[in-house]
Order: sequence, then structure tokens, then C-alpha cells
Amino acid sequence: MRLSDLKAGDRAEVTSVAAEPAVRRRLMDLGLVRGTELEVLRFAPLGDPIEINCKGLLLTMRLNEAQGITVNKLEAAEARQSGWPGLRKRHRFGKSA
Amino acid sequence: MSTQKSITVALAGNPNAGKSSLFNALTGAHQRVGNFPGVTIEKHEGYLDYKEYRITVVDLPGTYSLTPYSPEEIVTRRFIIDEKPDVVVNVVEGTNLERNLMLTVQLMEMEVDLLVALNMMDEVEQKGIAIDLDQLEQLFGSHIVPISARNRKGLDELLDHVVSVSEGRITIRKNKITFSAEVERAIDRIAALLARERELDGANHRWMAIKLLENDREIYTQTQKYPVWVKIELALQEAIAECGRLHSTDPEALITEDRHAFVRGAMQECVRKPKAPRASASDYIDMVVLNRVLGLPVFFLVVWAIFQLTFTLGSPLMDALDYAFGLLSDTVAPHLPEGMIRSIFVDGIISGVGSVVVFLPNIVLLFMGLSFLEASGYMARAAFVIDKVMHRFGLHGKSFIPMITGFGCSIPAIMATRTLKSRSDRLATIMTIPFMSCGAKLPVYVLLAGAFFPPATAANVMFGIYLLGIVIGLWTAWLLKSTVLKSDSEPFVMELPPYRWPTFTSVIFQARMKAVMYLKKAGTLILGAVILIWAASNFPHSKALEAELATRKAKIEATGVAPEAKAEQLRTLQARIDASQLEYSLAGRSGKLLEPLIRPLGFDWRIGISLVTGLAAKEVVVSTLGTIFSIGHTSGDTTLSGILRSDPAFSRATALSLMVFVLLYIPCVAAVGVMKKEIGAWKPVLFYSAYVMLVAWIASFITYRLALLWM
Repeated sequence: MRLSDLKAGDRAEVTSVAAEPAVRRRLMDLGLVRGTELEVLRFAPLGDPIEINCKGLLLTMRLNEAQGITVNKLEAAEARQSGWPGLRKRHRFGKSA
Repeated sequence: MSTQKSITVALAGNPNAGKSSLFNALTGAHQRVGNFPGVTIEKHEGYLDYKEYRITVVDLPGTYSLTPYSPEEIVTRRFIIDEKPDVVVNVVEGTNLERNLMLTVQLMEMEVDLLVALNMMDEVEQKGIAIDLDQLEQLFGSHIVPISARNRKGLDELLDHVVSVSEGRITIRKNKITFSAEVERAIDRIAALLARERELDGANHRWMAIKLLENDREIYTQTQKYPVWVKIELALQEAIAECGRLHSTDPEALITEDRHAFVRGAMQECVRKPKAPRASASDYIDMVVLNRVLGLPVFFLVVWAIFQLTFTLGSPLMDALDYAFGLLSDTVAPHLPEGMIRSIFVDGIISGVGSVVVFLPNIVLLFMGLSFLEASGYMARAAFVIDKVMHRFGLHGKSFIPMITGFGCSIPAIMATRTLKSRSDRLATIMTIPFMSCGAKLPVYVLLAGAFFPPATAANVMFGIYLLGIVIGLWTAWLLKSTVLKSDSEPFVMELPPYRWPTFTSVIFQARMKAVMYLKKAGTLILGAVILIWAASNFPHSKALEAELATRKAKIEATGVAPEAKAEQLRTLQARIDASQLEYSLAGRSGKLLEPLIRPLGFDWRIGISLVTGLAAKEVVVSTLGTIFSIGHTSGDTTLSGILRSDPAFSRATALSLMVFVLLYIPCVAAVGVMKKEIGAWKPVLFYSAYVMLVAWIASFITYRLALLWM
């Protein structure tokens, strides 16, 4: 699947990067090479660009560019704790923490 | 000290690694800003005296890599290869080592005398990160000096190392990183082929081979001309095929992966990070600032604050400067002989210099605000938040703040486009800015809308004018980006740096630099143009009119009326003669010459004159209208709006048409001067001027005709 198809909070592993040469190289130099794990942090308020965390680095790119990055989803957003860590527990009504 | 030895040091590093802080800390006031040959990238060069050395420091642009894709990276590469600095200091951000070391690896490949300055060590210690420097030095083969540029720590040690390296007392081991077997085989093969070429003696064959495998177009063109190319091409094709077969990827990706693997390995060997809390302070700030709901309001709040800082705080300062120059004129005037000489000094030179200097408060304040945003880390986030809107018009998220600033004044706004890296994005943004109606155009709207529309409607009219500017500006950007500037948009792949408190000195320093640059580079051009316009409105001078003034003055003096009436008569006489002189001058004649052209817009030659003088500064349109329309209006409503209302040449339609024209036509000479300075060539500026004139004419024509139909 493509990076642009992920949701905020999803974790994934990069399998390939395709884009025009300059963009591709920039993405690869910033760490988006095969095997790199990343987490989708959020989308901009208007839905585009996307922000990811890749090895502790906060990277942003337009969905257009994110479409060229194919990934393997490792963990979906719902399975993980995300958002405000402190507030999280209180929202899990009726579920065992 | 004639025996002083000289050393050249180049600073290379990632954006935000603290290169500029180090550069400023080292060289202090001994700096010079120029351009790298052939490109509009600033070259910061400075020097310092250390022990018996004069050390020249060149601050190379911040880069993530050394590809030939961006001008910054090309400049960095070329400088290192062609200028052969004695020492290359790679500034590395200690808190973000992994990404920073990717550039270090590429500098290693160039086999230069490399020193690594491990910056932000204070933050590293604060975060409890442990870095095994000895081990890291072993792996990279370069000495690593821990420093903190913003606290000026470790600088002497760095300089000692620089001296030692240049003296040859420290040998850089120039380690090579080993790539995958197939890549290594191909590198060896190609390097051997390159070594056969006589003209490439002394070049770094291994590096060139790596670059060829990375599909580097610069090295391609460099080597293609040699006969050995035929064999190299064959080797490259085989390497590509092999990488595809064994790794199902291409050599470029494989090489990058290998570099990452090397750096990753080095990180695991040498760096111990404490178990980081799940979210840092930066993350919490981002949860608010980049929040789906709050993101845009925060963004607009910040933009509003910058605007207020620049213009609300700036305008009293601007007024004060204006007043000071007025005072200067009044003090100087009596000491000069009446007539031409006084006019040259007072109206030409002093007011010319004044019109340059008057923008300084805005420029300084805006750049203090912008460098605060940039250094704190918010600027990149602002671009992230608003990019979608800007991208729709072919612009970049970073175009927004300069554009908004344009509503205050185009000059600092145009200078602020420097935050945009790609030239085509910058050009498009610069050419959008003049359509954002600046503060100097406001008096024109206030006068005309106020004179011809009731108060409630006047506000709507002015709002409409602003809106029209925005629409045409964005349309222009879109037009430019889909035609002449279609190429190289900056890819929106950006890092969001962690939030930091900017230091006071660096903020001040940035603002000072911009101010000096404005005065030096644009100031002279603006001054020249203002004086030219002054000359055009004063020459040729009619002797006949002067004589008439003298005789009539004498006549009035001779009559026996009351002193108040006499003064009144003298005033009207003076106004009439002034207006006639203006009509007689070059500006006046060009107004008449222009009349056939502007007639269809509802303008007569008198409006033509004010449009010509308005090139000096848009608010001058108002004062020229005042001078020239007051002829013959001595009774009734003598306010300018009253006069305009009663003048047969003016109607609502004319007023609307004139407002549209003033909004759109060529910006003031100061803005044009800064535009030329920032673009670096006259051709686009002239082309743009022709374009805006055409747009202004068409828009005014439509406005006038529609207004005639409906009003």
C-alpha cells in the first residue's frame, strides 16, 4: 500500500520509493529507504501535506509525493496508544486498561 | 604581522545544524555577503585572526546531501572541489546525529581534509545522550570536536584543530565506507577506467565512480566527452542490471541504503540515548499548533502578530523618521539660496534619502519577527499548515508570510521571499506581492472612495479593491507557474525542526544584516530613481512662469488690502504657478502625452501626471492630485475631495477606475529596485512591469465601462 493511504497513527515499513529523481533522492537522503520504519503523525489541518516520524525525524511531504512511497503496514492506529498520553486512559470507557 | 599565514575553512552541514551560529561566533563583524558565481545563493565569507593565522571562513549553504539536484548542493560540491579549502568543517547537530552523519559520509567520500564539529553539545548533555567520541572518530577517520556555537564553547579547540589539520600535524585517515559487493566491483571498474584518462589526473576517481553510479548528471556531462566513456557506459549498464537482478533496486538506491546502514551501525556502536519519554515538549506543542482544529487559527494569529509587529509598531517609527527628515529640510532650507539649488537639496536629495530610509523600521521589525519564527522552528510548521491553499495556485507554503507582509509594504515582503529555496517559487511569490495592496496605496483609496461614495459604501468599495488585488495576484502566480515558471518547483519535503528558543543576538544580527543589505544594494537604486522623478517634475523650468509669479506678487504687495487677504491671494497665486510649472515639466508633458492612452479609462492628462509622479511612491498620487486640481478652485469646498467632486473630469466611474489602476500598475520605484536586487536581473523585472501595466489597463477599462453603464 502507499504511504498516502495510511491513517494518522499507523506504523509502516518502507518497501520502495518512486518519484521524480530530485524528490526521490531527497526522500532517500532523509532516511526513507527500504526497510525504514515510520509512523504517520498527522495530516495538515486542510488534509495535505502529511507529517511522518522517521527515525526521530519529523518529515512533511505532500500527498502527491507520499503516493510514490510504497509501504507495508505494521501496526494500525487503533491498536496503539496515541494522542495525549495522559488523557488516553480516561477515554477507554469500559475497557480494561 | 607580515608573516601571518592564511587558512581557508569551509563550513558544511545540514540546514538547522547551527552552521550560521558557528560562522557568526567565529567571525563576528568581519563578514561579507556576496553571491556564489552564476547563482543567486548568498555566499557568506568572513575572517578571524587566531594565533599567527588569518583564518578565512566560508559558510556554505545548508544541505542534506551532495546531489546535483539543488543549486545549494551544486554550489557546495563545486566549492569544495574547485576552491580546495584547506579544511572542511562539517557542522553536525549532536541531537540529530543520524541524519546529520549522512552528509558526513558523503563528505568522507570526497576525501577532503575533514573535521567534524559536533554542535549543540549542551543540549546533548541535557538530554542525557552519551556519545562515544573516540569510537566515532575511529569509524569516520576524522577528528570530532564537541562545541556549542550558541554558547561559544569549544571554539578555541575547534580552531586549534583547524590549524593542526592545515599544518599537517593531524592526518585525516580518510576512511572509505564499503558499499555492497556489486557496487564496490562497479566502482573499482569505473575508477580504473577513469584513471586511464590523462586529463583526469589528480581527480578523485572513486568519488566520480560513485557519483556516476548515482546517476549524477554533472559528472555524466564531465566524463562523457572522453573516449573512455564508451567503456564506462557499458560498466554502468552492467551494474544497473546486476543491482536489479540481485537486489531488485537501482545502484543509486543501493548506495543510499548502504550509507544509511553505515551510519545506523555507527549510531548503534557509539550513541546511547536514554529511554526517551513518549512525547517531548516539542511534540506537545505540535499537538496544539498543528492540530486539525487549532492549526489554522494559531497560524493566523501568528501571521497577525507579525503584521502588527511590523506595521503597527513600525508606523510611528516611520512617521518619526519622516518627521526628522522634514525637520532636516526645514533646518537646511533657509541656509540655501532660494530657487533651484534649494530645491535640488531639499526636495531632491533630502527627500530622496528620506524615502529610502523611511522603510528601515519596517524592514528591521519584520526580519526580527521572521528570524524569530525561522529559528524557533515555527516557520516550517506554518508552511505545513497553509501549503494546501498555496499549492493550489502553484505556490509554496512558505510563500504565504511574504505575501501577507505585502499588505503592509512590498519592500520588506519581497526581501522576505528569501526563505523560499527554489528560484521559480521565489519569482512567482515576488511577482504576486505587489498585487497585495500596500499601505501607501491606502490614502489614494481613502481620498477617492471617501469623495465619491457615502461612508458605508466607501468601506465596501475599498474592501472590493483589496479583494481584486488578491484575486489578480493569485491568478498571476498561477499563470506564471503554469507557463514560464513551470519547471523546478521546490519539492515539499521538509523537516520540522524541534522547537528552540532563538538567541537574542542572532535575531538582532539577522535584522541588521537585512537592513545593511537593503541600504547598500537597493538604496542607491531607489535614491537615483526618486531624484530622477523629482527632476522630471521640476524640469524644464519655465522662466516665463517665474517672471509672471514675480510681477503678480509685486502687484499684490502693492495693493492696499488687509494682510490676511494679501496672504490668501499670494497662496492662490503660488498654487496656480506651481501647478502650471508641473504642467510645463517633463512629468506634466508625459501626462499629456499619455492622455490618448488613458482616455479610455476615464483619465485626463492631470490624472496622468499624478500617475507618473506616483511612481516615486504611491501616496504621492494624492499630493499631485492636490497640486494640480486645486487650480482655479478658490471658492466653495476647498478640501481635495470637495474639489475632485466638483471637477467635471471626475465622476464615480473615474474614481473607481483610478483606484483599480493605482492598485495594479507598476509598484513604486523602491519596490522595483528591491525586486531587481532580489531577482538579480532586469529582464524579468521589465517584463513584469509591462505585464502589470497591461493588467492595470484592462482592469481599469472594464471597471470604467461597467461603472458608466451602472451608475
